[in-house]
Amino acid sequence: MDSIADSSSLSRRQLLRMIGITAGNAAMYQAMSSLGFAAESPYRGPVDLQGTPAGASVLILGAGMAGMTAAYELRNAGYQVQVLEFNGRAGGRNWSLRGGDTYTELGGFTQHCQFDKDLYINPGPWRIPYHHRGMLGYCKRLGVPLEAFVQVNYNAYLHNSQAFGGKPRRYREVKADYQGHVAELLAKATHQSALDASVSKEDQERLLESLRDWGALDRNFAYLAGAASSDRRGYAKEPGGGLTARPVYSEPVALGDLLDSKLWLNIASGDSYDMQTALFQPVGGMGRVGEAFGRELGPLIRYNARVIDIHQDGQGVSATYEDTGKPGSRLTARANWCLCTIPLSILSQIPMNVGPAMAAAIAAVPYASAVKVGLQFKRRFWEEDDHIYGGITYTDLPIANIGYPNTGYHSAGKGVLLGAYIWGLHAMEFTSMTPEERVQKAVDYGSQIHPQYRSEFDNGVAVAWHRSPFTMGCYGMWSSDTRARHYDDLCQIDQRILLAGEHASFIGGWQEGAVTSSLDAIQRLHQRVVAQGSKA
Amino acid sequence: MNTRFKCPPLPRLALLLLGAAVCAAAAAIARADDSSFAAVATLSNANGEDIYSRICQGCHMPHGEGAVGAGHYPKLAGDPALVSWQFVALTVLSGRNDMPAFGAALGQVWDGPTVHLSDAQVADVVNYLRSHFGNNYKDRVTASQVEKLPHPVIAGAP
Repeated sequence: MDSIADSSSLSRRQLLRMIGITAGNAAMYQAMSSLGFAAESPYRGPVDLQGTPAGASVLILGAGMAGMTAAYELRNAGYQVQVLEFNGRAGGRNWSLRGGDTYTELGGFTQHCQFDKDLYINPGPWRIPYHHRGMLGYCKRLGVPLEAFVQVNYNAYLHNSQAFGGKPRRYREVKADYQGHVAELLAKATHQSALDASVSKEDQERLLESLRDWGALDRNFAYLAGAASSDRRGYAKEPGGGLTARPVYSEPVALGDLLDSKLWLNIASGDSYDMQTALFQPVGGMGRVGEAFGRELGPLIRYNARVIDIHQDGQGVSATYEDTGKPGSRLTARANWCLCTIPLSILSQIPMNVGPAMAAAIAAVPYASAVKVGLQFKRRFWEEDDHIYGGITYTDLPIANIGYPNTGYHSAGKGVLLGAYIWGLHAMEFTSMTPEERVQKAVDYGSQIHPQYRSEFDNGVAVAWHRSPFTMGCYGMWSSDTRARHYDDLCQIDQRILLAGEHASFIGGWQEGAVTSSLDAIQRLHQRVVAQGSKA
Repeated sequence: MNTRFKCPPLPRLALLLLGAAVCAAAAAIARADDSSFAAVATLSNANGEDIYSRICQGCHMPHGEGAVGAGHYPKLAGDPALVSWQFVALTVLSGRNDMPAFGAALGQVWDGPTVHLSDAQVADVVNYLRSHFGNNYKDRVTASQVEKLPHPVIAGAP
């Protein structure tokens, strides 16, 4: 590994390269924002739908977050509501797999989850940021208790199989060292008058002061082993009490090694708007939200209903569906209006007489590939041995993430962690495997970070979203181009049919997108219904 | 389901794809090295069979049998649409409904990670599909034929 051991020899070009890393991130955030990421939820509190005409009815397709939000609000507003749901449970992608559950994916591969009581993974969404006010609002109204989701754990790992002999580093070490070296470089540049053209003399004093504080520099503006740096990155020997009290300071990693390691890639993992503290998770699993909605709506939801055809005419909308418990059966549901939340991956295959603009939009959105693997171990070694309580380890291995449970700390007995959370090419490859192969691969890769995997592994489950019978993919992928051409057409009311779901939002892949798209849709629908009066 | 762009770039793995399809044998599964995996840097070495077994079969299934759930994945075994290599190649290049495009140029911006196959790879996987799973079309597609087909442009400047 090329080492820039003597950092005083760093060239201006190298300095600029480092700043470029930051500029690159800024450019990326800008790109993300214009694609709809990092967008703030438009949720402004419970909707108020007044003046519903007597007898007005809405057929809702799909009992996920979007469908059940609509069903809940429209029912409360006096509509006659019926929901058709493909699965035998409420929630859709809002889902927790628990011990005793059985899951059969496309291709007929069946898994029996053998986790211990109260242990689970969330194959789909697993966190709710503090600004996803729609989701938080429904959790509150439905009485779903929340607990903290740990996004950034300073004692979790950053790992690159090609760096530091494949040994993981603690997040706190990487962050402190990166910050310390950058601060030292900037201080050096300031002292060498390299910033005179852009920073006034007075501001240079303040800049230096802030760099010392931000980067944990010593009084000579150096980032070296000592009290200041160990207070950030941790100690070689921890301070304690009594005769064993005296701490030993730890040695920072050299800048060159740090840069070469690429571990800086995930330093900002908790800085993006979606990932900023505080985040939450429902106590008992994300699926508690869908379950609570399902209880609330009770008989309004018809389960095991596979929609085959959607047809609108001058008076209403009919959906033909199959009771999946009776293959070949044909049933019909009808209402004045239809809110369809079926993922576009599936809706694009269902005959539905909407106009060419909406039809083109429905066909324009491919679905992302994603895989999660849950692993049960005989004990919570990540807490007992590694002192990692919740949070996420990032790795360049195909498993990408290890997510530690943000609950049940210090529990005796077995524990379940998220052994892989994968997107893109590697997700496609994991999808192509059998569930057993995915679990085995997750154990193999994870053991490079936690050797305890080998002796402590108990059992696992693996969910590949393109094999999910009810979504055939993870979430709808838009580009700026397809958004420009199709997004509004997707969201417009087409006579008596309108769509909702994360795919009809700028918060794609998040439950908040489903909730806010649903609220937006039903408010527009309600306006139209009220305008048309009882003839609706 | 919520960390697009928050993922690190996909890793560089030293080993290339092996030619064999994903092996169901337990001994092969248990191996701890990365030899059964592709990566961005090594994907370009994948041939038609590799691409099918690592990417396509996730949806179209190990024997091209497709699948049925709330919707369906088309069965490729005995699919009469495969008579047209252009249809198959255009589908791989540009995607269809929920199937992503694999023919977009590298580096295009998308709301999620993209996977890029070269024209030669598209030709190779098309040939593979049309000569396996009981399909027995004799004509072979070349990279230069694929190159002449329209390729998707996913996005302008974001």
